[in-house]
Amino acid sequence: MSDLRRVMCVEDDADIRMILEFSLGTVGGYEVRCCAGGRSALQQAPEFRPDLVLLDVMMPDLSGPETLAALRELPVMQGVPVVFMTAKAMPDELEQLLQHGATGLIVKPFDPMTLPTDIRPYWEHGRGRPAA
Amino acid sequence: MEAERTPLQILVVDDMLASRRALCALVAELGHVAVGADSGHAALALVQHQRPDLVLLDLLMPDMDGFEVTRRMRGLTADRWLPVIVTSSLQGEEHFIHALESGADDYLLRPVSAGLLQAKLRHYGRVLALQSRLSTLAQRQRDILDNILDPVLTLDARGLVAELNLAALALADRDGRTLATGMACEAVFDCTLPELLGRREVQLQRAGGGSFSAELGLSEWRDDARVQVTLVLRDLTERREVERMKDEFLATVSHELRTPLTSVLGALGLLAGGAAGALPAAALPLADVARRNGERLSRLIDDILDLTKLEGDRLVLHLRPQPLAPLLREALAANQGYAHQGGVTLVADGLDEAAPEARIDADRFLQIMANLLSNAIKHSPSGDTVRVSLAATSGGVRVSVRDCGPGIDPRFRARMFEKFSQADGTDRRAQGGTGLGLYITRMLVERMGGRISADAVVGAGAAFSVVFTAAATAPRGDAP
Repeated sequence: MSDLRRVMCVEDDADIRMILEFSLGTVGGYEVRCCAGGRSALQQAPEFRPDLVLLDVMMPDLSGPETLAALRELPVMQGVPVVFMTAKAMPDELEQLLQHGATGLIVKPFDPMTLPTDIRPYWEHGRGRPAA
Repeated sequence: MEAERTPLQILVVDDMLASRRALCALVAELGHVAVGADSGHAALALVQHQRPDLVLLDLLMPDMDGFEVTRRMRGLTADRWLPVIVTSSLQGEEHFIHALESGADDYLLRPVSAGLLQAKLRHYGRVLALQSRLSTLAQRQRDILDNILDPVLTLDARGLVAELNLAALALADRDGRTLATGMACEAVFDCTLPELLGRREVQLQRAGGGSFSAELGLSEWRDDARVQVTLVLRDLTERREVERMKDEFLATVSHELRTPLTSVLGALGLLAGGAAGALPAAALPLADVARRNGERLSRLIDDILDLTKLEGDRLVLHLRPQPLAPLLREALAANQGYAHQGGVTLVADGLDEAAPEARIDADRFLQIMANLLSNAIKHSPSGDTVRVSLAATSGGVRVSVRDCGPGIDPRFRARMFEKFSQADGTDRRAQGGTGLGLYITRMLVERMGGRISADAVVGAGAAFSVVFTAAATAPRGDAP
């Protein structure tokens, strides 16, 4: 794990998945794997071995916090930073979200041109750390 | 208006059949209804069952004399006034005085004079009519009070419950006893009366157990110079639930609005950034227009969400005493990019000096600074400077943001801290503001116990000052 290469995105909105592919893949040059929900992320994580996960908060079926808790159980996910993406904006709501043990938070709408560099600090500071 | 209550129902008590009949006949002749009783015991039974309006009572009777009958009648009619006129042929006034002392209202010598009886009955009829009107009025007031769904209590100057309505009987004091007159303010509200006067909300116990928050409406009034306080207590449970649903709705709406906006802004950002190949030169300003307006829409959603929470007094603030300098540095760093874009230099003064701490919410303080800084930068011509300063004032901390822009139009100054106000319509379009920034800033400052003011001269720049009270520091001996 010498560099940030593989980024997994978990997002139920197909259009936002496309933006993320473009932003992190085309602009950022990362290897991107987009999943439409928490269950698919849990299935694909062991094989994809992400260096960082961007996780939407409000998803049907399995929510962001629920997915985060389940991901943390996977051996392959130990020490992998998980960053929430959320369209919520109230500071108290954001604080509550971080208490679920995510490494950080990206607020939607995000700038797709700077997102590849915006996520780097979370990887640099969050990797290798045990889950909170 | 009813002049007198006719006919009256009159109980004639006399053991002598002849004189009872004569008196009953006289009463009937005067237009009233007579009911006869031949003994004290019979009279007492009739008083309870027939509820007469007035009693004509012979003083001398074998089974129970008139004095004793009067005393017992008073005991039976504690809830109303039943005039008792004693009659006797005895000479001298001592026994009449004795009768009045036993509770009788009046006396008549036998044989009873028709004229005198008529005059007395008319008089008592008037008094009874007045009494009935008063008790109807009192009952009506009582009914109104008891039909108010909110508990209404009146406390006297000592803080004791003097009066309460029906709804207040559903409440209990802190020991679970149903509310009653004479209970102390402390037992019901857990605070003294002077403390209660400063409150807007109280926690109340239900008689059946459990507690709830209530809004407190206070009216202080005087009853012959004695202060009374009437409290109206409105259960807030339902309102809180509606507020919670409203917040939930707003959170959902803002989420639902931001989700498509994320795609719109993301796609535009990628197009303008050349992620999908270089755009033709003519397309770049168009992509920029779309992106800028998308961002403005995004700010509007944030502002409206803040506004709704602020106006509903439901914004959760995490207030704690903290130094402002590190937060100011953070705010300056966060706005450096925007300043750079506009060719504006940010300069800070007084950040290294030890200013007192203020009790604030860090995130919201950053929001205040972001608003003031972006305003200052927005209104500064390229090449200008925006100065931020931090200074201790007597008992407080002052943060100022000063620009060298065109200043504030005096016509705008009066309403600049109001909602949807901007210097003029063209400004809004050109600068992409929402018209809510300064309003939200003022609300946030005030919610943290501070004050915001503007100081500006047209053409000489604008200065905004925010003053917070210094947080009470631990005793170190250097507090002013």
